[in-house]
Amino acid sequence: MKKFFVWLSLVLGLIVTLAGISAQPAQAADNSLARVKEKGTLVMGTSPDYPPYEFLVNRNGKERVVGMDVDIAKKIAKDLGVKLVIKQMSFDSLLVALETNKVDMVVSGMSPTPAREKSVDFSKVYYKGGQSILINKTDKGLYHDKNSFINKAVGAQTGSIQYSLGKKQIKNSTVKGLDKISDLILALKSHKVEGVIMEKPSAQAYVDNDKSLTMINGNFNLGKGENDTAIGFRKGSTSLVNEVNKSVDQIDKQDLTKDYLKDAGSYMKTNTHNTTMWHYAGYFAKGVGYTLLITVISVFFGILLGIIFALMRLSKNKLLHGLGVAYIEFVRGTPLMIQVMFVYFGIGLFINIPALTSGIIAVSLNSAAYVAEIIRGGINSVAKGQTEAARSLGLSNTQTFRSVVFPQALKNIWPALGNEFVSLIKESSIVSIIGVTDLIYQLKAVQTATYKGVAPIIVAMILYFIMTFSLSKVLNHYERSMRHD
Amino acid sequence: MTDMIKIEDLSKKFGDTEVLKGLNGSVSKGQVICVIGPSGGGKSTFLRCLNLLEKPTSGKVTFESNELTALNETQLNELREKMGMVFQSFNLFANMTVIENVKLALVKVKNMSDDEANKLALSLLDQVGLQEKADAYPASLSGGQQQRVAIARALAMNPDVMLFDEPTSALDPEMVGEVLKVMQDLANDGMTMVVVTHEMGFAKNVADQVWFMDGGVFAEKGTPEQIFEHPKNDRTKDFLAKILEA
Ligand SMILES: Nc1ncnc2c1ncn2[C@@H]1O[C@H](COP(=O)(O)OP(=O)(O)O)[C@@H](O)[C@H]1O
Ligand SMILES: [Mg+2]
Repeated sequence: MKKFFVWLSLVLGLIVTLAGISAQPAQAADNSLARVKEKGTLVMGTSPDYPPYEFLVNRNGKERVVGMDVDIAKKIAKDLGVKLVIKQMSFDSLLVALETNKVDMVVSGMSPTPAREKSVDFSKVYYKGGQSILINKTDKGLYHDKNSFINKAVGAQTGSIQYSLGKKQIKNSTVKGLDKISDLILALKSHKVEGVIMEKPSAQAYVDNDKSLTMINGNFNLGKGENDTAIGFRKGSTSLVNEVNKSVDQIDKQDLTKDYLKDAGSYMKTNTHNTTMWHYAGYFAKGVGYTLLITVISVFFGILLGIIFALMRLSKNKLLHGLGVAYIEFVRGTPLMIQVMFVYFGIGLFINIPALTSGIIAVSLNSAAYVAEIIRGGINSVAKGQTEAARSLGLSNTQTFRSVVFPQALKNIWPALGNEFVSLIKESSIVSIIGVTDLIYQLKAVQTATYKGVAPIIVAMILYFIMTFSLSKVLNHYERSMRHD
Repeated sequence: MTDMIKIEDLSKKFGDTEVLKGLNGSVSKGQVICVIGPSGGGKSTFLRCLNLLEKPTSGKVTFESNELTALNETQLNELREKMGMVFQSFNLFANMTVIENVKLALVKVKNMSDDEANKLALSLLDQVGLQEKADAYPASLSGGQQQRVAIARALAMNPDVMLFDEPTSALDPEMVGEVLKVMQDLANDGMTMVVVTHEMGFAKNVADQVWFMDGGVFAEKGTPEQIFEHPKNDRTKDFLAKILEA
C-alpha cells in the first residue's frame, strides 16, 4: 500500500509539472504584422475537405490544396509581399494551431461567431453563404427544411457552426459530428444520418459531383456571423488584421469571390474526370511511405527507450524505479491521440516541432511504455539460475544482462514484441489528426478528391494488410531462427 | 596449513526466519568437504554464502585472506572467478552452444582471445568426455551431459575451489555415475571441493570431512568414518537411518 502511494504521488507530480508548463504564455505586444513580414511567409491553416472553399486536387499524382480560400490567401500574401505556406489539418485542430503559433491565420470557410470571437480575431467578412442541408436524392420530397428533421439524425463537421445549429435548432434530433465531410457523406448514403448540414457552396459542389445527392435550404435562424465567412487570427493581431482587411475590401469591391468560385469549380471538374483508384496511386504510395517511416523510427526508439524504462522499473534504486513506474503507468493510462496532440500543440508552445516529428515522438514515447512492460516480463521470465551461473563465473551484472539474460528475454518476448510492431503500423494512423500525411490521411484526401467513399477505404485496408502481413512473416522467420530446442 | 576458506559466525535471515545460525568452519587447500543433511536444513544457503550469491546477514567469510563480506561488487567479481560453482539444475546458458557456454567467461572476464578460449574449452570438454557435443545446444543434451558441461564451464576459470550443490539430485539414476566419476577425478587431482550431496557412497569414499547440517547449524562434523560408523548426534543417527532405509 505504501508503494502505491509512492508511485501515485510520482504520477501526480508529473501531471502537475505538465500542467505548469502548459500554462499560457503572457500575451505579447502586437507585432503580428512585423513578424509575418520578417519571416517572409504567411502560414495558412486549413482543412481541405470542404469544396469549393478548400479541397485537394491530383496533379500528376501529386496533391495540391486549391479552392476559393486558397485564392484569397494567395492574394493576401501577395498584397503583403510574402510567400504563402499552406498547412493542412483537421478542422478541429485549426484554432489550437492558431493559438500555438503553428499557423498565422485560419482560412477554412470559418464563420466569425461571437463564441469564436472570444478567442480569435476575425477579418472582415469575405463571403456570405447560407446554410443548406444535403440529402439523398431518393429522399427528395421527404425533407423540406430543418424542421423536417425533428426526431431524426443529421450530420455536421465536428466543431463547426453547422454542428451547433443542428444541436440548437432541430428539436429532438441527434447530431452526429464527424471530422471529415467525406465521412459525413458516407454516413448520409448509408442512412446513418438523414441529412448533412453544410454551407451552401459546399453542398452545391457535392450535388454537382454526385448524382445521388441533392440539397435543400436549411431555413436556420442565423445569428450574427453565422452566415458569414471570415479569416481567423490569433487574439491581439490587430496590425495584421488591419492590413489583411485592405485586401478583403478589394476582394469585396471587385467581387473577386465570383472568379475564385469559378476557378474552384473548374478544379472540381478535372478532379472528377478520372476517379479510378489507380490514378491516385501516388497518394496512397505517399501514405504508405509515411506510415512505414513513422513505424520504423518508432519501433527503433520504442525498443531503445523501452529497455531503459524496463531497467528503471526493475532497478533497486527507489528513485529510478519510481520514475520508471510513473512513466509507464502514465503513458499506458492516457490515449495515444491525446499524447500526439500534447506533443504537437502542448510542447509546441515552447519549441516548434513539425507535425511529422511530433507524431514520431509521440508514437515512440507511447510504444516505449508498452515495450518496457513486455521487456520487463521477458527479463522476469529468464530463470534466476541463469543469472546465478553467470555471476558465479565472475561476470558483472551488466555482462550477465547483455550476454545471458537479454538474449533469452528477447527470444521469450519476440512474439509479443512482434504484435506490438504490427499494431504500431495500425495505431500510428492517429497522427493523421495533426496533418501528417500517413495512409489514413491520404485515404481521406482521396475520398475528398474523388467524391468516392468506399473504394479508397478498400484500397487502404488492403495496403494496411499487406504491410502487417509481411511484417508478421519477417518476424516469424526471426523467431524460428532464435529457437534452440 | 593455512585455511583457504574460513567461516566465522555466519548467519543468514530471510525476513524473520533465521536459516543459518552462526556457522563456523574452515576448508584447507586440497580438502574435500561433503555437506549432508535433511532438506530445508540450510545447505544450499550455506554454499551460496561462500561465494556471496547470497549476502550473509552477519558473520565473516574469508577466502584466501580476503574478507568477502567486506568487498564491493567489482572486487567480488574477481574472487568469484576463483570459486567455481555447480548447481543442481545445471543452469547452462540456454541461448548458447556447449562450447559458447564454456568460453563465455574466458572471453568476457579473462579477456582471452577467441582462438585461445576455443582451444581451452575443447580440452576441458574432452576432459569431461563431451568434445563431440561442442556445437550442440544444452536443450538437446541429457541431464548427465549438461551437468558435465557445467563442470567444464566452472573449471575453465581455473578455480581454486569448486562448490557443488547437489549436482546429481536432478539426474536420472543411470546418469549419476558419469557425473560422480568426473568429480572423483577432480578430487584425485587435488582440487579443493565443498560438495552438498545425498550420495553417501561418494561422501564415504571421497570426502576428507563430512559436515552434517540440520536446522541451520552444523550438528556434527568429522571424518567419514566418524560420521557414518560412529555418529554421536541423535539427529545424525536419525538422518542416516532414514537415508540408508531408502
Ligand atoms: N530466497 C529465499 N527466501 C526465503 N527463504 C528461503 C530462501 N532460500 C531458502 N529459503 C529457506 O531457507 C531454508 C533453507 O533452505 P536451503 O538452504 O535451500 O536448504 P537445503 O539446501 O538444505 O535444502 C528453507 O526453509 C527455505 O525455505
Ligand atoms: Mg538445497
